[in-house]
Amino acid sequence: MQAVREFIVARNPKLDQLSDDLDLIDSRAINSLAFVEFIFLLEELTGESIDPEDLDLDDFRTLSAVSARFFTKEAV
Amino acid sequence: MAVREIEPVVLDLDRLENLAESGYYNPYSMFDWPDAIEDGLPWMSESLTTLAGTEMWDELTREQQIALTKFEAINFFSLNIHGIRELLNDVVNRIHERTYADVSEFLHHFIGEENEHMWFFAQFCLRYEGRLYPAQPALKADSVEHLSSVARELIVFARILIFEEIVDYYNAHMATDESLPPIAREINRVHHQDESRHVAFGRMVFTNLLAQVARRDPAEVPVVAEYLESYLQYSIATLYNPAAYRDAGIPDALALRRRALEHPARIEAHEQVLKRTRKFLSKAGVGRELIK
Repeated sequence: MQAVREFIVARNPKLDQLSDDLDLIDSRAINSLAFVEFIFLLEELTGESIDPEDLDLDDFRTLSAVSARFFTKEAV
Repeated sequence: MAVREIEPVVLDLDRLENLAESGYYNPYSMFDWPDAIEDGLPWMSESLTTLAGTEMWDELTREQQIALTKFEAINFFSLNIHGIRELLNDVVNRIHERTYADVSEFLHHFIGEENEHMWFFAQFCLRYEGRLYPAQPALKADSVEHLSSVARELIVFARILIFEEIVDYYNAHMATDESLPPIAREINRVHHQDESRHVAFGRMVFTNLLAQVARRDPAEVPVVAEYLESYLQYSIATLYNPAAYRDAGIPDALALRRRALEHPARIEAHEQVLKRTRKFLSKAGVGRELIK
């Protein structure tokens, strides 16, 4: 999850605090260009391939959601 | 689809329709599909790969270079396939509706030709690599909701036009690249021939709808310009698929993608690819110079 936080903070230097509940999509912390790379990053981190035809935006909406969806089996 | 605010799009399409009719071909019988692609041949022009002109290309083994042309060709054709699906959806939803009644004759040609393009791109990928790349993730929530319905119509056709112009840049080059296998050259050539009509049509529709947007509310034009610039960059970025690097046996795919996208030689390459489109948008009064 650290890499995920770093990804968002690097693209949003004005972001004071990155809370786990910030709506990343509505706040435009992740815009459409960044979203593609965000998905690629998650694929790389989890080794899991994400089906773009089967995306549920709510899985990516907050850090809590991302953590629950992709990192529940706490792998190092 | 209620598009009440939009005036009917009326265009003079006689020439394009005649060309479409006289240039009609049977894709199912016209191509000479070899059993396999000859070993050692690039599948797309080396100068058009995402690492071209950078030290990252030079650092690859020859085997990796050829493999990259192979998987980036698959990516390129796959992008075409998924892009065509989207545009077919948009166009099929509008043909013979009031707004587009006058252009529906040409839309029939457009739909028929795009279906066939989708077919021969898919044939190439399936015959020679056994698969396509899946559609890349897109944030559809990236809003056009703040735009008027006529601006949203403009965006629909703008996206189609931009997609086609980018692809056409690649097709035009590869149609005559003698280093490629003949079947790759042929596919690019045939597509380029049809696309010239589609781009001409797309520009006419775009110009008509942009005028409607500007008449309704000139303040929306820079908003549209910003969206289009963003879409241009998004489209270029889809050419950089980390799956292609991985399949070509190149490590650190994501880092490589980031490096390549930001490399000065690649930024220059993007400018070349988008030059003609940007010129058109600026001349039409909706270029990136409008963005604050």
